[in-house]
Amino acid sequence: MIAKLLNLLSGPDEQRNAPLWPLALARILMGLLWLYSLRWKLPPDFTSSTETSLREWLELEVEHAVLPFYGNFIESVVLPNFTLFAWLVFLAELAVGLSLLFGLFTRVGALVGLGLSLNLLVGLLEVPGEWPWAYVMMAMWHGTLLVSGAGNLFGLDGVRFRGETPSQTSSTSSSSSSSN
Amino acid sequence: MTDPSTPIARAESSSMATSRTRGSFGVALLRITLGVIILATWWGNIGDDFYDGDNFEGFFGWAFQSAEEGGNGSSLSFFKSILDNTLLKAPELFGWFQTIIEGLIGFALLIGGFTRLASLGALAFFTGLFLTYFGGEEWIWTYVILMASSLTVFLNYGGRMLGVDQAIAKNNGDSPAGLLW
Repeated sequence: MIAKLLNLLSGPDEQRNAPLWPLALARILMGLLWLYSLRWKLPPDFTSSTETSLREWLELEVEHAVLPFYGNFIESVVLPNFTLFAWLVFLAELAVGLSLLFGLFTRVGALVGLGLSLNLLVGLLEVPGEWPWAYVMMAMWHGTLLVSGAGNLFGLDGVRFRGETPSQTSSTSSSSSSSN
Repeated sequence: MTDPSTPIARAESSSMATSRTRGSFGVALLRITLGVIILATWWGNIGDDFYDGDNFEGFFGWAFQSAEEGGNGSSLSFFKSILDNTLLKAPELFGWFQTIIEGLIGFALLIGGFTRLASLGALAFFTGLFLTYFGGEEWIWTYVILMASSLTVFLNYGGRMLGVDQAIAKNNGDSPAGLLW
């Protein structure tokens, strides 16, 4: 169904097929972005001496909440249990960063990254000085990495794939084609 | 070299082709998003008279002013010198140029027409912003993401799916040096 729609919307194969390597490089860049962003939320205190800390960002999200229930949730659930949620954020961003950097379980990493990006978009939409389009673009990138299989090139997903037996690869390929 | 007739090679080739097709569909969505972002920002800037000569000059002044003085605190002084000796010699003229070019780039990316040229223009534009903001308070990754997006749209012929370039290429073949569509 989706394959038919894609064929309808796109031109001939030679026009449609795009090189994977720019997406693979972008995947690595996104991985670096997440890992670099960890530097101001490192455990055990999740603060930075030079930049706004995680707790301060959460307080800004409460103060400038675009969705009242989101602000209420941060204020009444997240902030009172700050350490737990800070660890969750840290581990999620670390996992996404490593997944995208090394191209390992890329689709899972991209899916979690998409969720984190949308969370940032909703949370920071009205915070002064923030440019929400940056988070829209991040969400779009993770969506692209989610559907593109960008871990097959320059990534461990490609190594995993090549390590499978012929019967496994055939079934992977056919299921991949049918889901396309 | 893997024998292309083996099941592994066939499966691998099929998987890669699927990835590429999905990739180009994803890149088309990236291109459209980029177009929307540029047009929305452009429209907001017009409303704020940002491209007016004085405001335009004031923006670059703010970008390179130190954070203690309320500026962004950008650190690339060589780029400031280049700006001072080129664009800021005629901010009014460059403001008009930027108004027209930025709008055209956004529209071209949105509809996927002359995408390769438009994405190169977007790459130059975002590189300029990256160099302007570098080392300051602004979250520099914003511009890294936008540069990567523009470059990917260029490299992946982002207008050949869900875009006008598909029809242009069908009727005219590839553009000279592949730089237009």
